[in-house]
Amino acid sequence: MKHFTKVACAGFIVLSACATASAQGRGGRGPAGPPPTAKASAPIDITGYWVSIVNEDWRYRMTVAPKGDVDGVPLNPAGKALADAWDPAKDEAAGLQCRAYGAAAIMRMPERLHITWQDDNTLKMEIDAGTQTRILPFNPTTNPGGDWQGASQAIWDRPKSRMAVGFFAPQGDWGGGLKVVTTKMKPGYLRRNGVPYSANAVLTEYFDRFDVPGGETLLVDSAEVDDPQNMISPFWTSTHYKKLADAKGWNPTPCSVK
Amino acid sequence: MKNTKLNMTSKMILALSMTGATLCAQFGPPPPPKATEKAEPSPGVDLSGYWTPPMHEDALERGGGSELGDFAGFALNEAGRLWALSYDPSRVTLKHHQCDAYVAPYQMRAIGNFRIWEERDPHNQTLTAVHIWAATTEGHRVIWMDGRPHPPAWAPHSFRGFSTGKWLGNALYIETTHLKQGWLRRNGTPESDQATVKEFIVLHGDHLTDTTVITDPVFLTEPEVRSNDYFRQPVDHHAWLYACDDGEQITGRAPDKVPNYLLGQQPYADEYAKRYKLPLIAGLGGAASMYPEFEARLRAPVTQAEFKSLLQADTTKPQQTSKAVDPEPKDGEIHILPIRNDVYMLMGDSGNITVQVGDEGALVIDTGAGKLADKVIAAIHQLSPMRKIQFIVNTSYRADHTGGNLKLGAAGADLSLPGSFFGLQSPAGATGQETDPTHHATLIAQNNVQIHMQDLKIAPEAIPADTFLDDRRRKFHNGDSMEMFWEPNAVTDGDSIVQLRRADVIATGDIFNTTQYPFIDLKNGGSVQGEIKALNDILNRTVYEHEEDGGTAIVPGHGYLCNEHEVLEYRDMMVIIRDRILDMIKRGKTLAEVQAFRPTADYDTRFGQNTGPWTTNLFVEAMYNDLKAAQK
Repeated sequence: MKHFTKVACAGFIVLSACATASAQGRGGRGPAGPPPTAKASAPIDITGYWVSIVNEDWRYRMTVAPKGDVDGVPLNPAGKALADAWDPAKDEAAGLQCRAYGAAAIMRMPERLHITWQDDNTLKMEIDAGTQTRILPFNPTTNPGGDWQGASQAIWDRPKSRMAVGFFAPQGDWGGGLKVVTTKMKPGYLRRNGVPYSANAVLTEYFDRFDVPGGETLLVDSAEVDDPQNMISPFWTSTHYKKLADAKGWNPTPCSVK
Repeated sequence: MKNTKLNMTSKMILALSMTGATLCAQFGPPPPPKATEKAEPSPGVDLSGYWTPPMHEDALERGGGSELGDFAGFALNEAGRLWALSYDPSRVTLKHHQCDAYVAPYQMRAIGNFRIWEERDPHNQTLTAVHIWAATTEGHRVIWMDGRPHPPAWAPHSFRGFSTGKWLGNALYIETTHLKQGWLRRNGTPESDQATVKEFIVLHGDHLTDTTVITDPVFLTEPEVRSNDYFRQPVDHHAWLYACDDGEQITGRAPDKVPNYLLGQQPYADEYAKRYKLPLIAGLGGAASMYPEFEARLRAPVTQAEFKSLLQADTTKPQQTSKAVDPEPKDGEIHILPIRNDVYMLMGDSGNITVQVGDEGALVIDTGAGKLADKVIAAIHQLSPMRKIQFIVNTSYRADHTGGNLKLGAAGADLSLPGSFFGLQSPAGATGQETDPTHHATLIAQNNVQIHMQDLKIAPEAIPADTFLDDRRRKFHNGDSMEMFWEPNAVTDGDSIVQLRRADVIATGDIFNTTQYPFIDLKNGGSVQGEIKALNDILNRTVYEHEEDGGTAIVPGHGYLCNEHEVLEYRDMMVIIRDRILDMIKRGKTLAEVQAFRPTADYDTRFGQNTGPWTTNLFVEAMYNDLKAAQK
């Protein structure tokens, strides 16, 4: 009988703790009032000017690699055939100079970013390379896509359990990052030398901000491009940027195939 | 006086505890952690599991290996660029380089699988450490999460370094120090032993991203940021070992040959640009090559002359000096670093002091500069409270290694002599230089040490009376075999390497140090070839424990406790600089022309000095004069 009482007490305490944690969790639903906006509940601040640090895949990003040089990209035969058929002059003539500036590739360009809140629930990312703009809404999107940047859906990505119950569920604020899923992109190039992705590609990105103690502030975009039409497996890269104090160096340029 | 003693004792205890963590991986048993701050609680993120890098980025570099001359995107300074251009991949055929491990930041970039697991205190379940095991080179990183401090500057370095971690937001934040020299790319892009790494690991679903920020004052102009991806493997893929044992790959090669390219004569420097039809500047742009503006630079013409100027030192720039952290404490205290088997390194009085204690009296290898001799004696008494100093062994006659002879000798006693049949024939009787040995330690050194010290009018009691002339002097003491090997023409004509065989410790004296170019004293018998031979003799007596880490402990004349890898890099440096100067001598260059060429430019940010008793110019001058004389 005594043992049973202990178990019952423990269960009560756990459930109480869960309920409390759920109510108090950052970004969770409170007892009253509207849910906080994305801006208000942001675990990180990624607004401001950023410059890309190009020290990975340097040759593919800083220059236009030769046709057929697809090293590292898990292309299937169809994707490889498209890469081998790349014709930049033809793209230019067809007005498709921006094929390497679509959402699945543009973050790899040598560039500067300017990230702002378009409204309390939408981030806007302006990019000087190719003079492109990505819109990252946290509310359900109605963007039909079909352009280079496609339709994105943003969400704050926090470490959390898939279930809202459990024994001694973790409490506290462990920060988080930004998750963006982009679909409905106009077919483009993962690299400037014609490595393809299709209209069915799904781009999943995780943005993290790192404040290096005693050093710079970094933004890291860990990206997964899933395109079974052209690839045998998802294509993963992580791209890093350094925070800038201001717009110095901001240099919007048109898309170029060279 | 009382306060001083207490202060020193507490510092000694601190030194023991601080350094033990690093040493445990190499030289001794693990000590209990001594946290100095409250450990961070574990977050809801568990990084444990099996991880594989997809290697979609830099696939060639991380797989087959990148081309020579491809240093694009690295913020290499002049020294880093020249070091990389001088690198010949055949260097890994050298026996001691064959099993070089990967330094931590390269390890995280390299090919191969990873396993991460947590270590928790069995009693309170707090997170003690996060372990990362990399299949390549069996790279085992331990990220201490219990708040312990980093070891002091004189503690040994390792390929994985010493790492501590804490949680910053959703990231495991790691700081790594005490790294060995290694590479950031396998084409010779260097990372020095002065590099430190700040690192963030985050987990999103099954996508783990590790971002490293590498700061290297020796070879980089600004931090190098890299981000690495890993995907979770649901099952153990096994294959966690990386067996490596060195052997002869090129037989008959002279021991003083180190594959390298002379400055300005790297024949493959333009290979990368030519192969991919890139501008010549592509791989050599340094920090500028990391930023968008470099695209415009790539479109600007680069002349062959401009390109060639990047292959050697800029003679219009001033000679660089060491950017390394001073590994020697300058706080007026003696710090004790346990090595192994009752052998300790004492730091703080200029030259390093090695102390072996046991049932017999203490054996002391070198006595420092003597300014802190009383504190050295007190420190030895702490280690050997029941036995006095019985033997003092000098590796050199120089004042920073014999300065404490007088006081330490007087504080010792050689109790092997009272009642001995040979008592009357003791050194005191034989030379008249030593006081009663029962009230004085016996001082041992190669005979030239005695001669030099007599020439310098050193007090007779401070001069080794027990000398030897052969290549080897041996003695079994405190359960260990002590051997002295004379190196007749290294930095002077009286240098000895001292080896404790069972403890597997070698004291090198000034033949090797981590703080400056070797002080080759031509007037007193030093020579370039003798120094290279001496360094090779050290390497011929060392054994690494695992992938070029640990094993035989090396106590340098100055600087931090090492193993063979630091001696190896130092030997390589000597050979490479010798090759450059010798080449210029053969081409009829004068000393002034050689010095103006800056043949040490890639090592100056690590060892160079423009002031003091041993400047870079003096080092080059000694090299030049000795090599030129040998040509005649």
